Amino acid sequence: MDEYISFEQIPFGSDNFADNPEPRCPCVLLLDTSGSMAGMPITQLNEGVRTFRQELLSDPLATKRVEVAVVSFGPVNIVSDFHTVPNFHPQELETTGDTPLGDAILTGIDMVNRRKKEYKENGIAYYKPWIILITDGAPTDEWALAAAAVQKGEVNKSFAFFAIGVESANMDILRQISARSPLKLKGLMFREFFIWLSASMKMVSAKNPGAAINLLPPSGWSEL
Amino acid sequence: MTWKAIGKSVVGTSHTAIGIGCQDSVNHIVVTATDGTDVLLVTVSDGAGSALYAAEAAQMVTCKATEYIKELLQKNDIISATHIYALAEHLYDQLAQAALSNEVGIDEYSCTMLGAIIHEQYTVFYQIGDGAIIRTDEQGSYSTIWWPHNGEYLNTTAFVTDHLSMPSLQVVVLQEKINEIALFTDGLQMLTLSMDTMTVHQPFFKGLFHHLRLADTVEKTELLNTLLAQYLDSPAINARTDDDKTLFLATRLPA
Repeated sequence: MDEYISFEQIPFGSDNFADNPEPRCPCVLLLDTSGSMAGMPITQLNEGVRTFRQELLSDPLATKRVEVAVVSFGPVNIVSDFHTVPNFHPQELETTGDTPLGDAILTGIDMVNRRKKEYKENGIAYYKPWIILITDGAPTDEWALAAAAVQKGEVNKSFAFFAIGVESANMDILRQISARSPLKLKGLMFREFFIWLSASMKMVSAKNPGAAINLLPPSGWSEL
Repeated sequence: MTWKAIGKSVVGTSHTAIGIGCQDSVNHIVVTATDGTDVLLVTVSDGAGSALYAAEAAQMVTCKATEYIKELLQKNDIISATHIYALAEHLYDQLAQAALSNEVGIDEYSCTMLGAIIHEQYTVFYQIGDGAIIRTDEQGSYSTIWWPHNGEYLNTTAFVTDHLSMPSLQVVVLQEKINEIALFTDGLQMLTLSMDTMTVHQPFFKGLFHHLRLADTVEKTELLNTLLAQYLDSPAINARTDDDKTLFLATRLPA
């Protein structure tokens, strides 16, 4: 009987787990900081990026797994390279210059390719990278090359590309760049958009049959 | 020694958060072969998070696989790889049928499959998709039968529902006596496997098997099964994975 009781009280189950790094989910934000974003748009965008960080921090696994990088344009500038959420400290973005959208996209694609290479070299498992483009204008540079690179990347499943148009954004050109339909932000609802984005990123660990990315419906912040 | 086996599927915290249930399933049974010896059958399945009928699919695959193999064992002295291909096609047909009657695509029944048929003289292992099967070797160390099948990305894998021709079905028949196995779904992969060296993390399994070998009554085995469910839902595990997780352990080794 004594033995039985001791058996009942055994600490069953090891807490010695393999010391693997957390799998990573890279996300690049390509943010339009051209002159036309001056005023409320840039203020709301900055607020949105801060909300994005807060929302991700509220999820313990997303905090460890999501890596955020920020590129502003123009001119194209890597504001912040890939960092996990606790180490990602959004900088206040200011408006400058024109809209070199093509160059920004190519920079984003280069960044995710380099990051994936680093994961592989370090034996880190990862999820499909996300590239999020937010713009209120039309490209002021050559964008055909970038459009081809986006299409190629989507076909090869190298990344998922999302284009978000703000106010007077040229949606026609965005449609030609993005394999997925670009979405038009309702007013300046950046905050709502980033809450949606973080919720979608938290869901990423769900398995995906086929090629489709499992997104939440873009409710509230997008115009149809 | 007869088989002692425990196995549980426990819902992940990410599933609880959005109000969906456990989409993993495990089913095992010990049956008598035509030669009168014991045969352990086990099948584990992980329903795809994005599939509408993931839970049903996983449940169907584990139950129907047991049913099908039980019948095979009554009619055949030896189970071969050919039988497992027939099993996979049978399961595909069952899932396709269910999808048809619910008027959805078969993708909505996407799920993985891992299993073993352990006879006195030989063992058949089979697997589609991720998760892994672990065995103990003569030296008492644990190794995987196959390294988990993930695509480039951690959240992509192969499913029973992928293709009729089953290009991702792996089957092996070993002509040796296997005394101890574990099966688990991908929710536990990062805790049980060392990704950099592609090896089994030995300490994870050592303690578990130690206690299972010690259990000398049905009551004690049942108790361990309850403790296993608690363990899989413990903060230590939930801090490292938010996915559903299944762990099955069986031994016929003495303490």
